[in-house]
Amino acid sequence: MRLEYTRDELLTSHAYEEPLIAGDVLCHGGFIGSGYVSPRTLHRLPAIGAWQDRLRREGLPLLNLPTEYVPPHYPSYEQAKYLLQEGITDPITRSLTIISIVEGFGARIRDLPLPDLHATFVEDVGGTAIAHLGGGLVEAHARDEAGHRREGGHKQMWEAARDLGLSKPELPGDILLRMMMGRRRPERRREFPELPAVTENLVAFLTGVMIIEIVAEDVFEWAKALLGDPEVCRQNRAAAAMVAHIQQDEKAHVEYLRTALSEMRARTFVGADGTTHVPGATVVDRLFEVGLRGIVSTRPREDRERLREEIHAAIEDRAEASRIASRFEELDAGWTFPKGEDEKLDLLLETAAAPR
Amino acid sequence: MTSAAESVAGVVESAVAAAGGVFGVAERAIRAGRIGHTAASVYLRIKTPRWWDRLVGNDPAARDMSGVHQRNAEQILETATALKGLLIKICQVVGTRSDVFPQAYVRTLSRTQDRLPPRPFEQIRAVVEADLGAPIGSIFRDFAQIPVAAASLAQVHRARLPDGRDVAVKVRYPDIDDIVQTDLTTSRWICQIYERLDPQPMALLPLLDELQKYLALELDFEREVENAERIRRMFANEERVVIPAVHRELSSKRVITMEFVEGIKVTDRLALERAGVRPRRVVEGLLAIYNQMILAHGFFQADPHPGNIFIQPGPRFVIVDFGLAKELPKNFGLGIFELMFSMMTYNEAAMIRAFRELGFRTKTGDESTYLEIARRMIGASEDGAFRGEFTEEMTDELFDAIRENPIVEVPIDFVLVSRAFSLLSGIAHTLGHRANILDSMAPGGDGAAAAPR
Ligand SMILES: Nc1ncnc2c1ncn2[C@@H]1O[C@H](COP(=O)(O)OP(=O)(O)OP(=O)(O)O)[C@@H](O)[C@H]1O
Ligand SMILES: [Fe+2]
Ligand SMILES: [Fe+2]
Repeated sequence: MRLEYTRDELLTSHAYEEPLIAGDVLCHGGFIGSGYVSPRTLHRLPAIGAWQDRLRREGLPLLNLPTEYVPPHYPSYEQAKYLLQEGITDPITRSLTIISIVEGFGARIRDLPLPDLHATFVEDVGGTAIAHLGGGLVEAHARDEAGHRREGGHKQMWEAARDLGLSKPELPGDILLRMMMGRRRPERRREFPELPAVTENLVAFLTGVMIIEIVAEDVFEWAKALLGDPEVCRQNRAAAAMVAHIQQDEKAHVEYLRTALSEMRARTFVGADGTTHVPGATVVDRLFEVGLRGIVSTRPREDRERLREEIHAAIEDRAEASRIASRFEELDAGWTFPKGEDEKLDLLLETAAAPR
Repeated sequence: MTSAAESVAGVVESAVAAAGGVFGVAERAIRAGRIGHTAASVYLRIKTPRWWDRLVGNDPAARDMSGVHQRNAEQILETATALKGLLIKICQVVGTRSDVFPQAYVRTLSRTQDRLPPRPFEQIRAVVEADLGAPIGSIFRDFAQIPVAAASLAQVHRARLPDGRDVAVKVRYPDIDDIVQTDLTTSRWICQIYERLDPQPMALLPLLDELQKYLALELDFEREVENAERIRRMFANEERVVIPAVHRELSSKRVITMEFVEGIKVTDRLALERAGVRPRRVVEGLLAIYNQMILAHGFFQADPHPGNIFIQPGPRFVIVDFGLAKELPKNFGLGIFELMFSMMTYNEAAMIRAFRELGFRTKTGDESTYLEIARRMIGASEDGAFRGEFTEEMTDELFDAIRENPIVEVPIDFVLVSRAFSLLSGIAHTLGHRANILDSMAPGGDGAAAAPR
């Protein structure tokens, strides 16, 4: 199997028979036969498969995030459906719009400063996902999220899903306000001061993105169920299909990230002084855990509180507000992160399985 | 012109009409004469050597003009300082455009951002006593005769209330309406002559039109107080934002009495570092605060020039001067965001949609004009790719492009927002950083946590 690919190859799409058009907006990807094919995957997916094969041949494990660590979407499908049934659309419109904006911000990954990756590790990185990060993988990811030139990306696809499902709802005037509210986070602490800052930032950033991509799985399931529900959504089939296309595209992201990080775990980082060595697994596992704690435990708690307030404010305007509010709360299944503050997380690893 | 702009222009006219007559023909002539003389000297000093070079066959581009620019800048500053009013405003604009104008002008004219020779205290006292209806000594325990700052339209004095609290009293110059009108007329006249003289004139008249719109807003102190209070409420829960509280009972159409605030000038990098404030934090915080006002709340202080922002250790951000504040239409922030986004991804269909949503119009309906504008803006960004910063170069290019495509109608809100972002970008560059709007509004906050760097 080939392990070296050019940047152009990693950015090349299939020859689609039909493009994907969302509303009146041209998007990426397209159809061959009756199936949707993700953009820029003609070589990208086979390449990721080849790098994962190599890990497996070398007997190395693959990073994994257990599903029980992933917080469910709030409000839940049942709660959201109930709100729509009561005619309370703004919170859902807002959520879907914010998701589209956040997806668009995914393009900023291309501004991530990359160190010289050959000098970052003691071992060779030839023929790995690591070596291809700057050679097309990150750029493909950026384009998938925000779109590129004529083609819209996930940002536009989420907007389309929202407009199909909720019949082009009027956008509340406070979307950016809500999005930016409570978003200030403390600066991340350096965990490995002996490493060059750019190296630690790279690992922290990639682990963060990988966690977010996996957490998003639940957002997809939620959106497919809600927007695909004919009782509350008009063009439910088209809306759910759009979400499914996005979900399919994201597979490539999770897989290249998990591959590159697993390759890093199997190597040794070179310290800022050029002589100190730090085992890759130590660095990746630590940063993965720190990121995971932040993203799936602290953040959902805060976000959930904020959203809950926002939804109750929207209910307040209704006649029968208290009945709606208590019904809404009844439907809340709740969630807590299964591990305590100092409890060790399960080792997030599985032996490299056959690539999906 | 948009309807907002028309109504603003109307306000200027009626304000001028109301004040008519007080300001004599002679004063008017003297001002006009002095401005005209300065303009002519500046123009000739630049052009004569070039004509000469061309005549004798030298390369005009090879000539070192820095001495000429310095002399010009000093003469402009001297005239502006003596005459105040609109001229100071123009100098302030030049003083923040280090990338457009030669250094000599920027360095010299940026001095207008804080200190100018004050008006005699008696003029100030007269306004305060007339408007507040009592002798100054009975209202204030102390009132410093020397002002803290003498700006273009007003000057600010430090004073103390009977209960001991320190206040800043901003007092409008009594004859400012007339001054502004004369300067506008004169400047317009000079621009027209200049456009005829110069085979390739810079488009100064549209700049003047813009200035006229803002001035009317800035001359109304009651509005200014409303604005300040509204933004103060917006940041009531944010300790890092300091907006001076207004003493309404001691304020009027021409006087604002407010809490006295102190801090380091935002562009004084050395003083910031000495106070233990990291310039990067200042840039991030400032941008986050302006993003909150512009993109999230849709109401903002539209004049973030360095003279209006002070930093206290923390950092805490002191913002003064709400003469120019603007309410934006619903979801204007989303529109700005969409425009930036489409430029980042080179998505032309999305650019056209964004321009249209922001209120741009082409008279002929030809939408390729929008693309031309966006392309030129992207081209003017640092490495030819838009990453989220509206630099001064980009806004300048934007306005050039608009001027060269007279078929476009530009919403005044957009002009104010892009001007504010480019002023912030100027501050960021002075502090050795960048003002990336997208970074700052990205999930993850002030851009510190999530932004890769
Ligand atoms: N509350 C205050 N406390 C302390 N100083 C103040 C206060 N308000 C204003 N100043 C000082 O006075 C100066 C001029 O005030 P301000 O900017 O409001 O006037 P202005 O005429 O609108 O000026 P310009 O339009 O030229 O910025 C400020 O730059 C600041 O130095
Ligand atoms: Fe995505
Ligand atoms: Fe993704």
